[in-house]
Amino acid sequence: MLELKHIDKYYNPGTINEMCLFRDFNLSIRDGEFVSVVGSNGSGKTSLLNIICGSIDVENGQIIMDGKDITGMKEFSRHQKIGRVFQNPAAGTSPGMTILENLSLADNKGKHYLLSRGVNDKRISYYREELSRLRLGLEDKLDVKVGSLSGGQRQALALLMSTMTPIEFLILDEHTAALDPKTAETIMELTDEIVREKRLTTIMVTHNLRYAVEYGSRLLMMHEGECIIDAAGEEKAALNVDDILGRFNEISIACGN
Amino acid sequence: MTLIIGVLEQGLIYGILALGSYITYKILDFPDLTVDGSFPLGAAVTAAIVTKGGNPYAAFLISALAGAAAGACTGLIHVKCKVRDLLAGIIVMTGLYTVNYRIAGMANVPLFGSETAFDNEWINQIPQGLASYKTLMVIAVVAVMVKVLLDLYLKTKSGMLLRATGDNERLVTTLAKDSGTMKIIGLAISNGLVALGGSVMCQQQRFFELGMGTGTVVICLASVIIGTSVFKNARWMKATTAVVIGSVFYRACVALAMNLGLETTDMKLIMAVLFLIILIVTADRKKKVRNHA
Amino acid sequence: MKKNMIAILMAAAVLMTGCASSGSGAGEDTSAQSEASSAEETSAEAADGASYTIGISQFAIHGSLDNCREGFLQGLAEEGIVEGENLTVDYKNAESSTEYANQIASDLVSGSPDMICAIATPSAQSCYNAAMNTDIPVIYTAITDPVAAQLANEDGSSVGNITGTSDKLPVEKQLEMIRELLPEAETIGIIYTTSEANSESAIAEYEAAVEKYGFTLETVGISTISEVSLAADTLLAKVDCLNNLTDNTVVQALPTILDKANAQGIPVFGSEIEQVRKGCLAAEGLDYVALGVTTGKMAAQILKGEAEASQLPYESIADSGLYLNTAVAENLGITIPESAQERAIETFAEISAE
Repeated sequence: MLELKHIDKYYNPGTINEMCLFRDFNLSIRDGEFVSVVGSNGSGKTSLLNIICGSIDVENGQIIMDGKDITGMKEFSRHQKIGRVFQNPAAGTSPGMTILENLSLADNKGKHYLLSRGVNDKRISYYREELSRLRLGLEDKLDVKVGSLSGGQRQALALLMSTMTPIEFLILDEHTAALDPKTAETIMELTDEIVREKRLTTIMVTHNLRYAVEYGSRLLMMHEGECIIDAAGEEKAALNVDDILGRFNEISIACGN
Repeated sequence: MTLIIGVLEQGLIYGILALGSYITYKILDFPDLTVDGSFPLGAAVTAAIVTKGGNPYAAFLISALAGAAAGACTGLIHVKCKVRDLLAGIIVMTGLYTVNYRIAGMANVPLFGSETAFDNEWINQIPQGLASYKTLMVIAVVAVMVKVLLDLYLKTKSGMLLRATGDNERLVTTLAKDSGTMKIIGLAISNGLVALGGSVMCQQQRFFELGMGTGTVVICLASVIIGTSVFKNARWMKATTAVVIGSVFYRACVALAMNLGLETTDMKLIMAVLFLIILIVTADRKKKVRNHA
Repeated sequence: MKKNMIAILMAAAVLMTGCASSGSGAGEDTSAQSEASSAEETSAEAADGASYTIGISQFAIHGSLDNCREGFLQGLAEEGIVEGENLTVDYKNAESSTEYANQIASDLVSGSPDMICAIATPSAQSCYNAAMNTDIPVIYTAITDPVAAQLANEDGSSVGNITGTSDKLPVEKQLEMIRELLPEAETIGIIYTTSEANSESAIAEYEAAVEKYGFTLETVGISTISEVSLAADTLLAKVDCLNNLTDNTVVQALPTILDKANAQGIPVFGSEIEQVRKGCLAAEGLDYVALGVTTGKMAAQILKGEAEASQLPYESIADSGLYLNTAVAENLGITIPESAQERAIETFAEISAE
């Protein structure tokens, strides 16, 4: 269970450029939900993820994760329970290290990083198995540096790494946006597979309305720091791309665009 | 022959420093200026210990610890006080000038009357024929040990997380670890090695001089850049080995230039041109590899 | 790997070009080995008494140290060892860097000269260390306190195959002279570099001696040349006169100090002839050329086999000389007593811009 209570968020507080993004924003996400978030640029989608992960602070309000107030918790500590994949495929991996080293690093998440050997040879066969699920042929490239992989390969690896250890929440920040359509499709299918299998509570920000409609159990549409559509269950199932596009146009007209 | 031994001795000592700088400059991508202060810090600590009759080998260790503390200071200032990397290094380097002076007690401390790691009863037992190599042997043992230990460390979990910190700080955060802590650890190890180099240098040259740190950062970076650029495509060679060889190569260039009768005043420009050539030639190759790809 | 070779070859080419342009006589065929072997040949000649090679390592580019070197060669020449005739000199300057000082020392030792002359403390220490396992004698000069530098024992005898001369300042005579010229003065100010061992020991001596002449001492320590200006402002507010040591950094910034002192009409005393020439009022000091000459004569003794470096105690110049600058005195409105004018070895009537 993840709850955001009475969140206020300003940008450039105290200056002439002060801008209010969220005012008394509330959201609660139940365990096991797969929430797709859509909205125009500047609607607060990515800020929402950043607030949950602790990448940015809030002025007021509480963030409660599994009943525990984590508002003051440091970003890195929150990631004990959170896995995150970014839009930029380079952000989720270490380019100067090999695939094997990257996976070994991710495999140790939640434990101490001390002076024992970084790569556990006994886990290699498991890594190969996991990599073969990606159907990208990476299982034969364990000793290749990640920096020389393509964006799609890196993103697939990042997804695998972020969900490798037991986490509860998966945060996907436009994670298919930088990929070509075919690769994006592959990554999206893979995401769905992993989320189902590991029963992760997932929040996915996307600009692809089709993905938002097709995947997930709940759909949020954000506008100016508020949820203007919040559909779950049958209501969500009834939504189609055109409905959402229609709402987008309404907003745009209202804003004078 | 004495010249070659001299080049190897000096080159390997600076090689230890270069290994330290390799951590900050190449792994963490942190331009660390602390080294101009931590190098003489190691020497000052050593001078204080050795002149009081302390064990010269223990001085290696204690110097390294002192250097690590200095590096941790730079890290703390950068991470906790959010001071920019270059400035954090400058602050600590500046402060260390006074610290070094207080530790050594004088601006110039000679060690001619003291037992050093290269001149003591134990080491002097080696056969007469090897006597002229004993300094080089001790330095080589220290340098190789440092290199091997660093290689081993970089393969541990902590070492891999350190590499990830320089490569992609965000990844470290998503792995639920504090990248700031890793930076502090990296700076501590780096400056520990630099101070160890200072300790070795002080005992080898048999005096401590307060001004001996000036320009250390340039020498270190030169060694790292020469080593990693020239051997970039030599996959069989570890980067740490390349860095040590780079240091010896740099030293050989300085010795050669001096031996050819070059004025020391002109040397800096020659060295600058030398770096440029190495960087251009190696960068050119990188481009070609990309074209092939 | 081909590219690597190109990088190395180009690097070597740069070094060669630099060499040719520096006009050294090393010639086209320049490898470390040919250099070393030619040095051996020369030393073989030396055994016959025909000629000598001396390597000189000077720590910094500095007027006084240059004078030392000149004097050294002059002293050798007076003993019949003349550069270009029966003496080959390999002179190198470390540019105030211990890194270079070490490199120079090992470079000089590898050339197996008949003697190494080291000018200033860090150079002497590097050379002594590098030559320790050889039979090359080291002769030093311009070291204020050879005992503190562990190059001589308490009684002045040598610690090894090394000896030389000290440029210890005649502190008491200087204070006596200041009292003579400025009967009213109470406070003397000194700027010094904390990293210079010579200055440190000089300060200690001044501290011990000022009271006897009725002065109090104000000192400011600096670490870089950029701090001189501020240090001068600080001191000038509290003192009746400034006094310079042979401090390398401070001497380099002498024009700054003189400008500021002159603006406030405060006299500045020097410690050697060059400083007086450049605008200090007076100095009871050393003539570094003379110090060099003494060193050169000692060197000649050793080269000719008349003495061993390890047997010769280090020497200091027994007499200091008074240097005056009357132009400065006039500007400051100070009358120099006749006794002092008569005593002066050299009196400058103008301020040298150089």
